Amino acid sequence: MSDKAQGVSFTDRVKGFAESFGLPRLIIAGFLLLLLIVSPFVGADLPTQISNIINRFSWNGILVLAMVPMVHSGCGLNFGLPLGIISGLLGATLSIELGFTGSTSFFMAAILATPFALVFGSLYGWLLNKIKGGEMMIATYVGFSSVSMMCMMWLLLPYHSPNMVWGMAGKGLRTTISLEGYYTQALAKILQINIGNLSIPTGAILFFALLAFGMWAFLHTKTGTAMTAVGSNPEFARSAGINVNKIRLISVVMSTWLAAIGILVYEQGFGFIQLYMAPFYMALPAVSAILIGGATVNKASVTNVIIGTILFQGIVTMTPTVMNNMIHLDMSEVIRIIVSNGMILYALTRKTEGSK
Amino acid sequence: MSKIDKKTLIIRAVALLIVIMIAAAMFVIGRGHTIYFDNKSFEAGGETIETPYSIEVYVKGEKVAKLKAGERGKADIMGQSLAMQLVVTQEKGGASTKMNVKLPIPYNMDGVIINIPVMLAGKTPADYMTEFIPAPPSDDDEDVSVTEDAGELMEFEQ
Amino acid sequence: MKNFKLSDFVSRFSVPLMFVLICAVCAPISGLSPSYLINEIVTRMGRNAFLILSLLIPIMAGMGLNFSMTLGAMAGEIGLILVCDWQIVGIPGMILAMIISIPISALLGLFCGKVLNMAKGREMITSYIISFFINGIYQLVVLYMMGPVIPIKHSSIKLPRGYGVRNTVSLLSMRQKLDNLIPLSIAGVKIPVATFIIVFLLCLVIVWFRKTKLGQDMRAVGQDLEVAKDAGIDVERTRIISMVLSTVFAGVGMIIYLQNMGNIATYSSHSQIGMFCIAALLVGGASVDKASIGNVFLGIVLFHTMFIVAPKAGTVITGDSMIGEYFRVFVSYAVITVALIMYETNKRRKMNKAGERLAMEQEEE
Repeated sequence: MSDKAQGVSFTDRVKGFAESFGLPRLIIAGFLLLLLIVSPFVGADLPTQISNIINRFSWNGILVLAMVPMVHSGCGLNFGLPLGIISGLLGATLSIELGFTGSTSFFMAAILATPFALVFGSLYGWLLNKIKGGEMMIATYVGFSSVSMMCMMWLLLPYHSPNMVWGMAGKGLRTTISLEGYYTQALAKILQINIGNLSIPTGAILFFALLAFGMWAFLHTKTGTAMTAVGSNPEFARSAGINVNKIRLISVVMSTWLAAIGILVYEQGFGFIQLYMAPFYMALPAVSAILIGGATVNKASVTNVIIGTILFQGIVTMTPTVMNNMIHLDMSEVIRIIVSNGMILYALTRKTEGSK
Repeated sequence: MSKIDKKTLIIRAVALLIVIMIAAAMFVIGRGHTIYFDNKSFEAGGETIETPYSIEVYVKGEKVAKLKAGERGKADIMGQSLAMQLVVTQEKGGASTKMNVKLPIPYNMDGVIINIPVMLAGKTPADYMTEFIPAPPSDDDEDVSVTEDAGELMEFEQ
Repeated sequence: MKNFKLSDFVSRFSVPLMFVLICAVCAPISGLSPSYLINEIVTRMGRNAFLILSLLIPIMAGMGLNFSMTLGAMAGEIGLILVCDWQIVGIPGMILAMIISIPISALLGLFCGKVLNMAKGREMITSYIISFFINGIYQLVVLYMMGPVIPIKHSSIKLPRGYGVRNTVSLLSMRQKLDNLIPLSIAGVKIPVATFIIVFLLCLVIVWFRKTKLGQDMRAVGQDLEVAKDAGIDVERTRIISMVLSTVFAGVGMIIYLQNMGNIATYSSHSQIGMFCIAALLVGGASVDKASIGNVFLGIVLFHTMFIVAPKAGTVITGDSMIGEYFRVFVSYAVITVALIMYETNKRRKMNKAGERLAMEQEEE
């Protein structure tokens, strides 16, 4: 009798755990674990795989972190991430145009990107305050419009640096710009650890940790808690004397700025600046990463960011190698599309308490 | 209640049946074939069939080929039978004869070669009809690009 | 009073008016002859009208712009690929492809409707993500399952590696067969009469559908979910039906579209179709919650004139052909963005007004 009761409570506990952790996340974590276990047997080098995951984590972490403030203030998932990315790209190209090289160019790019991020972010935040309730869809299209607008701008703006413009015409930026001689690996090579095939980009991870800690600390300040209050219950927040619009604006600007910095960190790892249509779909991987990490449309934490980025990037890097080695069939891209969009879909269909 | 249900059920079943029948009909009348017309001589069992000087082939009133000896013409047709009009000239400058020919085409052949002189000599279909096996397209190892989440944006309706 | 009306008119038709302006400026610069332009527009009218009409029903049901109409497009493509492999050609091939596409699109529409019922209030973003999600599934089917699971015989369709479909599938056997079924050209303008007849029939169906019980229910659901529920309408079912209908129409529309194009870009034909159809509809003066058949046709004329004229005009002005290309993409996105923003602000204004009225009534009491 008591045994039975205990059994029930045990299954309940398992169920409760699965519930709190989220079934899809459990499946994805299990899948990644399976890939990691299988990979040595199919001839993939485990240390290489792990350093790949860590590397890609360091590239993408900040872009995913950029989701947090807007989710907190109730603006939903920031599908308008490309806007921030564009600010970052403007900073990057300006830094090169102005003749900075080496690691300096990275920090100059970050500094130059900041005013753009602040201006674009404020406009974007102002717009989102006008259309409360429809943020996500409009954010998506604000991102798209700005990317296609910038496509024209990259051609028309008077850039001259021979490393960036088309050689033949002497004007118009190239689609990909190599960062060799500029800030490639600018962060990653700081304190880099190399043990055999395992290499850890310590600097980039520390930089992420710094920003993540900053985010965590911010969320515990007065403004940060106000942001959470606005997100969970705007009516209550208003009656408590919080300026809802201002808080939302701050969150959007923060998100945009983080996206700008995030793309710079991504580029230093990747080694190239990608212009034109490249930023178009950069929001989706970041959105699905944070959701895989356990965030919902109106709840997200720094832990979600870390777990989500590791899981998402893990799957993205592991599936191609493992599958190729196993069955000589590369389905990874298709799996990535299904998993990441399935995850977003799952999150959108959850009933979220206290939200529209 | 159940009566109405039954009625709608019957209507639905009939509608479904009609759709399936239409689909089946499409399979029959819409089957496309590529017909290759040959004007070639033929030798088998000591018997020789000579080629006429020229054959003109008309399908649906449209001239699709004019064949001298040894030449080949081509037409795309739809459906299970081929109706064509032949204008055969035996000798250069000689009088020509017109004739209408209707042939059933085997369903499972995409491309069919018809050797007209053999057909005109009254042989069996097995003698004058052969399946055309196209040369496999050059395996230029087409680069399959799985598209990004939404493919190329610029390539819309050129 | 009259002034007020004029400004009202301008704000309501601001997007179409803006497009008239763009077209009026760009058309002479582009240097394209009017007869070429008219020919192109008539062709595109036949090609796109059916697809865009498929967007009307979900708008009626208050589900906004149906970004997941791409689901139907994918079903249509699967139908066409199979028919091509079976070598069914011409109009019968098209009909068969439609028959094959219908159950697939109905199933996808059902799935879509169910998911959207779980995401009330954010239908558009959800339908948008659904289109990406199903695109993944579509690629799984077409790239890996066609060949080993779904038999594909012809090497002109199958990839050399033995499974998967080539990047482009030629539809030469049914290219413009429908458009040219009833040949007619007036003053050098080729008119796809048969296609227009089908489009006209769909218009009639939509007009008729609005008057049926189901159509009335749908409009009620679109106006106010809660009120409709209280009136005893099965809201969830009505919404699902509207999605199924839209998806099925989109599938048929895609087949008409592709027979005109003459080939399928297997992995990209469908991906942008939703966006361009929606942009065209909005350019015609529709909004997220209101769209008529007139909007569809006006939209096609204006949007596609811009689409043809902009790259040429861009090349003439800047000397760079890419500028015009980017410009038209930018305009398509910008139109959708503006329409969405106008819709949301209007919605808020209405809600505020209702709130004020409520407050005033309460005060009076």
